[in-house]
Amino acid sequence: MTMSTAAAPARPRRAMDSLTQRYLVLVGLIVIASVGFGIANENFYSLANIGILLRSIAVLFLVSMGMTFIMLTGGIDLSVGSNVAFAGGVGVIALTATDSAALGFVAAILAGMAIGAINGVFIGRLRLSAFMVTLATFALARGLALVIYDADSINVSNAAFLWLGGQSWGSLPVVIPFVALVFVALSVLLYRAPFGRDVYAAGSNFNTAFVLGRMPQRTLVWVYVLSGALAGLSAIITVGRVSSGQPWTGLYLEFDAITAVILGGTSLFGGRGRLLGTILGVLLYGIIINGLVLTGTNPYLQSLIKGLILLGVVLLDTLVQRRKAQ
Amino acid sequence: MTRRLDMHGIGKSFFATRALDNVDFTCIAGEVHALVGLNGAGKSTLMKILGGVYQRDEGEILIDGQTVEITAPADAGRHGIAMIHQELSLINELTVAANIFLGREIRRGRTPFLDKAGMARAVRAQLDRFGLSLDPHKPVRELNSGEKQIVEIIRALMSDAWLIVMDEPTSALSEEDKEMLFDFIRRMKAEGIAIIYISHHMPEIFSIAEQVTVMRDGRIVLSERTGETTEDAVIKSMTGAELDQFVKPHKQITGEVVLSVEDLSSPGKYEGVSLDVHAGEIVVLTGLRGCGAPDLAKAVFGLDPDYTGTVRYMGRTLTPGRGPAVAVRQGMGLVTENRDKNGILPPLSVRDNIALPFLEKSVTAGLIDGARVDGIVDKAIRDTSTKTASPAQEIRFLSGGNKQKICFSRWLDEDLKLLILLEPTRGIDVHAKADIYRIIEDLAERGVAILILSYEIDEVLMLGDRVLTLFEGRTVQDYSYPHFDKDRMLADMAGAGHAT
Ligand SMILES: Nc1ncnc2c1ncn2[C@@H]1O[C@H](COP(=O)(O)OP(=O)(O)OP(=O)(O)O)[C@@H](O)[C@H]1O
Ligand SMILES: [Mg+2]
Repeated sequence: MTMSTAAAPARPRRAMDSLTQRYLVLVGLIVIASVGFGIANENFYSLANIGILLRSIAVLFLVSMGMTFIMLTGGIDLSVGSNVAFAGGVGVIALTATDSAALGFVAAILAGMAIGAINGVFIGRLRLSAFMVTLATFALARGLALVIYDADSINVSNAAFLWLGGQSWGSLPVVIPFVALVFVALSVLLYRAPFGRDVYAAGSNFNTAFVLGRMPQRTLVWVYVLSGALAGLSAIITVGRVSSGQPWTGLYLEFDAITAVILGGTSLFGGRGRLLGTILGVLLYGIIINGLVLTGTNPYLQSLIKGLILLGVVLLDTLVQRRKAQ
Repeated sequence: MTRRLDMHGIGKSFFATRALDNVDFTCIAGEVHALVGLNGAGKSTLMKILGGVYQRDEGEILIDGQTVEITAPADAGRHGIAMIHQELSLINELTVAANIFLGREIRRGRTPFLDKAGMARAVRAQLDRFGLSLDPHKPVRELNSGEKQIVEIIRALMSDAWLIVMDEPTSALSEEDKEMLFDFIRRMKAEGIAIIYISHHMPEIFSIAEQVTVMRDGRIVLSERTGETTEDAVIKSMTGAELDQFVKPHKQITGEVVLSVEDLSSPGKYEGVSLDVHAGEIVVLTGLRGCGAPDLAKAVFGLDPDYTGTVRYMGRTLTPGRGPAVAVRQGMGLVTENRDKNGILPPLSVRDNIALPFLEKSVTAGLIDGARVDGIVDKAIRDTSTKTASPAQEIRFLSGGNKQKICFSRWLDEDLKLLILLEPTRGIDVHAKADIYRIIEDLAERGVAILILSYEIDEVLMLGDRVLTLFEGRTVQDYSYPHFDKDRMLADMAGAGHAT
């Protein structure tokens, strides 16, 4: 994680100051939440539980990193959760039809990218509202998933296909180093490659980016395709975790991802934020949710608490922003 | 009793930047007090403190000898202080009268119905008082920027403002509108209104202001009656050094034609315009606002596909509306006239804002070479003497003129072949203006073809190798250096040259 700090070629100094403060607060909250849940339930600190925790939020890590790119451009992707179900369905069907894990992987990722491309073309090229377009594909992808699965789950036994999401080395799930790898790759893309600068530029001022010849229309398309590809990867991991493909998987995932990204300090209005914040946001959010499960909190209350977290963060951010504007 | 404002020992820091240091500023009813200084000297910051936008760190504000606390824009309004914004805060869909009475509408008796006729009458009375001929029933959408500013001022006056602050009010006005505004200012003075007037334009200041105060690096370095000082003294006090006057170098233009525009027309914008720009040549388009030149420039840059006629660049005919990405790749650059709308990327650093158009040149093996970018950016900042805390500073925290310098400096690349500049020195101080002219001339010497749109006649005369006057979208005359005739050019722009 030090990688991104060293690699960022141009961090606005002020933004770094306030974002660094934010990250310190997040680290503090992560410590407090872990200690609190550790006291409430001695199982919280067991290696097994940490493995379970990390594995349960692996998908959230991936999807939230894609969401970070999108929110940096000032957009939003409500379709990721449905896309995970859809891409999983396509992958599982391809796997059962060909019995080739490789083809299954490729099919899942391509399917995820296809939904992303639809989002991207409507949002980037035709300049439709990201909220509206992804709300439509949110329903559309879920519908396709239900059709593919015929509304029923499909068991998967192909060991190679299940490896990424299901295998552990001791108590370390294979998927965790994989997520770290994706984080490093995306950090390089965001901070060291011209594409990353274009992501920030498109979110800062679309018109200026256009006049400077940066083709923000194209940037937006690729950002949604990237989010779709990560949804496809997430689908593979989800199937691996439960050894089956399920049409209702990924429900509320977009909500969790948006909350984690906002928690991580990425601006709703684009142009401001970093991947490291998202990682911390997912960790904190994951610890809270996992802790609530372990301490036996009424599941109905969990949704309420999630809602309160999002509302609280948005409120706090807005108040801080208004104070600073003075 | 004449009302007066006193600001005493005002200090303000933004992190490491000391924007204001022990500033004393006084303003008296019935006078215009001009505030001048280099870009980033702290003029807007001082006014934002007066307007309650920023909080001061030190000092006090007194009105008629009484200490007042101004912690929010509403406080300033309560004390009769009005800021006239350039980003105008009017609602386009409403009429002049409705805008002026927004939020404190007059009702008919106790009914919920608006007394539109009554409001229009009140507005008309105010307009008459200042000899203005605006129609209160006109939607604001149909006004030009000068008229919009007047509506804002009238709105302030009708809510009992006695002190009007204008931060570079003329930078977006045509010559005609400037005259209208100056008339209005003179009448306000006569009515006992106090005016603080920020401008980089010395002749304006000496024609309407009673007092002039110069700021340098957040301090007051001079404050005199305009009758007792001179333009040169004021300009000198801004930096401490004489103005390094720009003198146009003598040159022979021998380069090939880079841009050739033939019979370009776009309905309602421009009509049958033809022009050539050679390598190393500076061609200036001028006219009144609305003469169609910005639209023409945008068509050349590939932003607007709706035209007939041909645009040839480096011998090849360009596809209409091919987009700026192609234009930039082919070595064209554009500085737009509206830096906030499509000139800057507000949350990004100065560095990103400069490096973006030619980022690909600093890429090796797919990754950005940070050191190379730093080199380009540092040079761009140095060449244009841009005042920024560091290249990592977010551009939105720069002063107006320094933002403009960045919009210009990002194009200083060695592969540039054609640079299109729309009002390149808008908001730029007198000293930096000369620097910018020199950079433009250097670019030309290197063989860059330069197409400029300028509404300032002095700039037109100073820079152009050739000048085209435009009136309502048509070329009136084509002048080449040194056969410039200022009076004829002004007549061309006003449409008088057209008739003869
Ligand atoms: N919100 C802010 N945060 C950080 N620095 C700021 C902020 N506002 C202004 N500054 C800095 O304070 C200094 C004074 O800026 P100010 O806008 O007052 O200049 P100015 O005299 O109005 O210049 P110009 O003629 O270019 O408009 C500049 O160095 C600017 O970068
Ligand atoms: Mg200013």
